[in-house]
Amino acid sequence: MFAPSTAAKTIPAACAGAVLFALGAPACAASDSPHSPDWKISGFGTVGVAHSDERQADFVSSVMKGGGAGRTDSWSRHVDTRLGGQIDVTINPKWSAVVQVVTEQRLDYSYEPRVEWANVKYQVTPELAVRVGRIALPMFIAADYRKVGYAYPWVRTPLEVYGVLPISNSDGADISWHWNGETARSTTQAFYGRTDMPLYDGARLRGNNIAGFSQTVEQGDFSARASVITTRLSVGLFPGLFDALEAFGPQGRDIASRLRVNNSRATALSIGMNYDPGAWFVMAEAGRSRSAGYIGSTRSAYLSSGWRYRNLTPYAGYARVRGRVPDGPTALALGGLPPPYAAAGATVNRAVAAMLRSVPSQSTLSAGLRWDVASNLALKLQHERVTTHSGSRGMFINSVADYQSGRTAQVTSAVLDFVF
Amino acid sequence: MRLRFARLLAALLLASGAAMAQADDLVVVVSARSPIDSLRPDQVAAIFLGQTPRFPNGAVATALDQPIGSAERDQFYLRVAGKTPALLKAYWSKMVFTGRGQPPRELAGSAAVRKAVADDPGLVGYIEREALDPSVRQVLLVH
Repeated sequence: MFAPSTAAKTIPAACAGAVLFALGAPACAASDSPHSPDWKISGFGTVGVAHSDERQADFVSSVMKGGGAGRTDSWSRHVDTRLGGQIDVTINPKWSAVVQVVTEQRLDYSYEPRVEWANVKYQVTPELAVRVGRIALPMFIAADYRKVGYAYPWVRTPLEVYGVLPISNSDGADISWHWNGETARSTTQAFYGRTDMPLYDGARLRGNNIAGFSQTVEQGDFSARASVITTRLSVGLFPGLFDALEAFGPQGRDIASRLRVNNSRATALSIGMNYDPGAWFVMAEAGRSRSAGYIGSTRSAYLSSGWRYRNLTPYAGYARVRGRVPDGPTALALGGLPPPYAAAGATVNRAVAAMLRSVPSQSTLSAGLRWDVASNLALKLQHERVTTHSGSRGMFINSVADYQSGRTAQVTSAVLDFVF
Repeated sequence: MRLRFARLLAALLLASGAAMAQADDLVVVVSARSPIDSLRPDQVAAIFLGQTPRFPNGAVATALDQPIGSAERDQFYLRVAGKTPALLKAYWSKMVFTGRGQPPRELAGSAAVRKAVADDPGLVGYIEREALDPSVRQVLLVH
């Protein structure tokens, strides 16, 4: 991938294909030029184990996982392990296409591969490009390569910031424009699309009218990115719970209508900076999300820094997220209800409270070491102290019914990242 | 702790100083037919890292690399972009797996790069200083 002559499996373009695409240019003669149509196969992956001493919930790298470390298994290989493959086809300097497929543990515990990217790019000018197809969302600095562990220093991107946006791609189009000043470079990207992902029990997550904008500025060793994304979100989870709420008359219907996520406006803003002169780095990002319904709103941020000594990169960081549940009552008033109804109402209230504990509030202190073992292989060890706050179960999943917020989990991870 | 950090820094400085002293000079070259006279290190880095598609005069620029693992390549990126081979690989992982770009085409060595650059004013490469000849113009000395 990095070196067409060594690492990448470059399949030389057939002369016939070159004639077709090069529109009469001396195609065979030009077949070794960088502009001839060629195919590149590359890939990335992570093999990892994570240990958590928390027995009441699972530590996961994303809420889109079935299980993780802690409650299900104290040692889990599912937290970070994944494999991705990518095919790049460059037809000529104007047209190219890419397909990326990733397999990792999903909500249904399977490792069924998912198409992460599939788009066709038209380079209008060297500065202006248009893509159509499935495109990664350029939220935060590392969101569009967060599955490629080799590309960043940590075991995983900070959960508190990157985890609040479970959508990683959208089906639609984007346009990106590069602008080069005397010393600074700017990239402006605007996108529009939709997404539809299966969750579990037949429920789906749908984002309609996803629209967003991202601005990146680089100057020397410094880079910064700001982005905004907005969508109409529908999440079809807990249908039984909402039906039960609605059975309690006007107060139940009121709570259900405020907590349901059905074509609800959701917005996320982020701003981040990275300073990396080579011998050390510092990265910081802050994000804000707002959503109607039980997803709630969040404010999150992290700061991470490390230094590089030969093949070793020790690093440390702090990350936090503070969630806010929707305004207004979220529990049925049970006074005056006949006892059997009051008992049922109390059960519904407990279920709603459990659902709202998923609005994340947690903080993490972490320290780790990256060791670049070989030119395409990195071994990382990381230890984290993850504490949940404010009645929330943070970014943990599969928590016990009586999970007590405020607990601290000690999480240790070891991963081997590779690219090929 | 502070003492240990100072020792580490000193070791780091010594190591990088030693690497500099061993290295031969490299030159960044364009075709003798190109109107480009000189480039700054940051301009060269931007072209080789796929961050800008053009020379400062607006002409489209295409970079040529030396083979992966070669001393020329490792020294070039360390001095021009401050990137070790591992950092460079991490950088291109980001670019490739986000569809933002592909690394420069590789040629077999200084002679092959010089020959390709001499023939095409749109190309830019780096070669050993000893490999310079009148077919190409030096636009930056890397040392």
